[in-house]
Amino acid sequence: MDLQSFVSILISGVALGVLYALMAFGLAIVWTTLGIFNFAHGAFIAVGAYLAWQFGSAAGLGLGYLPGAGLAVAAMFLLGVATQFVLVRPFERQKDIVLLTVITTLAGATILTNLLNVVWGPRMKQIEPAAGGELSFGLVHLRSQEAIMVVVVGATLAALAWFLLRTATGRSMRAVAQNREAAQLMGLDVHRLYALTFGLAAAVAGLAGIFIASIRFMSPNMGDDPLQKAIVVVILGGVARFTYSIYAAFVVGMIEAFSTYYVGLYWTPAVLFGLMILVLIVKPEGLFGRRQRSV
Amino acid sequence: MRYDPPFHRTGGFWPALIALAVLAALPLVVTNPYARHLLILSFIFAVVASSWDLSLGFGGLFNFAHGALFAVGLYTFALTVKFLGLSPWLAIPLAGLAAVLVATVIALPVLRLDGIYVILVTIAVAQLLYQVTVSQSQWTGGTSGIVSLPALKLGGYSFIRDGRIGYYYTALALLVLSTAFLYAVVRSPVGRSIVALRDHKYLAIARGVSEGRTRLITLAASALFTGAAGAVYGGYVRVASPDVFGLSFLTLMLSILLVGGAATLWGPIVAAFAITFLSEAIVDFGPWREIAMSVLIILVVAFYPGGLWAAIQELRERLDALRTAARAALARRRGRGEREARMGGAPETMIATRHGRIAVSDTGGDKPAILFIHGNSACKEAFAKQFSALRGDFRLVAFDLPGHGVSTNADPETTYNVPAYAEVAEAVIAARGIARPLVFGWSLGGYVALELAARGHVPLAGLAICGTSPLAVAPEDFAAGYDASSHLILAGKPYFTRREAAAYAGSATAPKSPESAYLHRNLTRTDGRARAYMMTKITVVNWPRQMRMLRGGALPFAIINGADDPFLNHDYLRALTGSEGWPHDLVAIENGKHAPFFNTPAAFHAAFLAFCRAALARERAA
Repeated sequence: MDLQSFVSILISGVALGVLYALMAFGLAIVWTTLGIFNFAHGAFIAVGAYLAWQFGSAAGLGLGYLPGAGLAVAAMFLLGVATQFVLVRPFERQKDIVLLTVITTLAGATILTNLLNVVWGPRMKQIEPAAGGELSFGLVHLRSQEAIMVVVVGATLAALAWFLLRTATGRSMRAVAQNREAAQLMGLDVHRLYALTFGLAAAVAGLAGIFIASIRFMSPNMGDDPLQKAIVVVILGGVARFTYSIYAAFVVGMIEAFSTYYVGLYWTPAVLFGLMILVLIVKPEGLFGRRQRSV
Repeated sequence: MRYDPPFHRTGGFWPALIALAVLAALPLVVTNPYARHLLILSFIFAVVASSWDLSLGFGGLFNFAHGALFAVGLYTFALTVKFLGLSPWLAIPLAGLAAVLVATVIALPVLRLDGIYVILVTIAVAQLLYQVTVSQSQWTGGTSGIVSLPALKLGGYSFIRDGRIGYYYTALALLVLSTAFLYAVVRSPVGRSIVALRDHKYLAIARGVSEGRTRLITLAASALFTGAAGAVYGGYVRVASPDVFGLSFLTLMLSILLVGGAATLWGPIVAAFAITFLSEAIVDFGPWREIAMSVLIILVVAFYPGGLWAAIQELRERLDALRTAARAALARRRGRGEREARMGGAPETMIATRHGRIAVSDTGGDKPAILFIHGNSACKEAFAKQFSALRGDFRLVAFDLPGHGVSTNADPETTYNVPAYAEVAEAVIAARGIARPLVFGWSLGGYVALELAARGHVPLAGLAICGTSPLAVAPEDFAAGYDASSHLILAGKPYFTRREAAAYAGSATAPKSPESAYLHRNLTRTDGRARAYMMTKITVVNWPRQMRMLRGGALPFAIINGADDPFLNHDYLRALTGSEGWPHDLVAIENGKHAPFFNTPAAFHAAFLAFCRAALARERAA
């Protein structure tokens, strides 16, 4: 293999990693904070894309790319809050909340996906990329849209990190994640923080959906594949810290890029799922997590 | 403690047999091919969902690769029939075995994981299987699947003919076999281990249940008929499409399982018909159908987690309560004379209490009074022999507990428990104006009498119990105080079959004879909820207070048991009454069984009267 293809694999790995980090962030933060697994996450991604298309594209309201994306992300925040209220909160006091919410969020995903089908129909759509063309620096060639994505996602993740690590609200969210009872005793409004977490997760998922819709096509089921990737990422990273899933996203991106080159496109998902099963067997706490085996 | 009558002696036998007969005869009436098609699908889905119930409901093991097990069966069938030319009839069991094999492989990662991780790893396995299947398109036809599979045939007879009648009976036979298999598994020691691991994992492991082995068996057993169902499905629709790996098939099965009721075995079977027909009825609504099914799932999980089966049970409970209430109402009107004659002419009156209207027999007069309290599922007429023998020297009073005899049924939540029964006894004592009675409590009535004395709201002259083990700690002492037998299960079982009713009445008083026939007849009048609620509320009683009262020794007290009482743990009672500072007598009546006052009245009266006289003498002395 020449250097040129190696670099392009590397770049595509980074681009995938960035995208996966964005897709997995919401899943990871909901899991670390609420201790539940949101199977409607893929549907969030799809809904975000459709809303952005509706607000932004000429065929929709024609507000333009950025306003459309901004409105969509804001709307997704509200959808996330509503989802938490309807699908998660009623079961909060139940012993098997983890399993119950698997069922309700799966059902929620079906509802959202089919609503997309009802409203926008099954025909493929695409969001016009914010920028066309390619950028080249020596051996590095990448599409402008991908470059924008890397920058925006990097900025978004940095902003989220700042929010979670430095602001009072973000710290409260992490406190609730670490010990709900203690956080409650300190006077934190757990329900508000849960709603906020879900809203944030949905908003970031919506952003991921917007990017996916501009490099691939949109369909009501467009969230299925990202959800599976996000699951793989979160499992590989472990849930001890949400940053672990960002590292894991790049690991998965690289594995996928190299596996597509060496093993083939068809077998790549099988490789990823096989790896995920292996990690679950050997190191259920994730590649980066420390041993802490509780549900 | 276990009570395991064979299936044909349980209450479920006749309903199941009738349902089977109806299904077997249905093709005579239903000739419409589309309706038959839906029935065939219902049978197959019932097999899949009820098999899933074994791991998900009974085992609490969320195997989301269950749909993939069905797919494994389907593809095994398609591949072996199409490319190996295997007979479809051999391919069906082979498909079941292939699914078992895959389930065993799935079990390996699942063995060490819990909760959400089980879901994730099984989803990953299902995806892996899907990817492998789709990528091998030279064999599996990729995403379009394997088409034009041969139809099932027997001899030269194709099962498509005569409105798919062959498929109908094949699918029905599969459902019957699968249900028999699951029923046997659930009730086997393995089934107990499966449920024990779900409910009390560490206790089960401490008792020697192997978690890994049990999980492996759970998944393998749930796979067997799922795989076979996949094969029958393939032989029926004659296409093996990768759609069955997908989420929408899984969601359909999940809705069948949840709407039917998890961990019920029968629930998913009933729901398979309801959901299949419902989802076909709204098939024209396109995406709205999926939305409606998902909303249904959320609603069931949120508001009615027991599902359809719980609704059926609730209906049954209501019907049974109506039946027993009607029988009691009828008896109040019709049989009063007969009952008064039975009780030596003591007049029967109805007393209004906060726990319903209570029937009381009272011989009256100003002689020293004895209040009799009967046992579980009996009635005041159990003391008929005492009413005729002892009325010369005593005023005799007996009453029917709520939900028993000719008293009314009551709110099970508030009334069917020992403290409430003690309140009823207080109400009877107050309403009949009985001063300082001696109290005799039999079995459950013994606990009522103990509670009555321990509450101390009404003064008593003495207390004798029979067939009752005083407890200090529940439920530990309850388990120790009785001989663990099927009787204890029956004592808390809401519905009796004929055989169970005869067994319970026979062991509680005496086998059926002209003398005991009345008690046997009366048993089926008892509100079944009275048994169930009383048993589950054993722990609400303040048992230590009773024991303190007994050890205090202020109240004359005696235990008069049949020496051969089949339910008591006599060693427990000997240890209790032999313990240091125990101030009371333990009397054993030869051949008295659980009801010495009924079986051997002469010997019982001798002991009981001796106690009564001593108690009254002590009171006079004080």
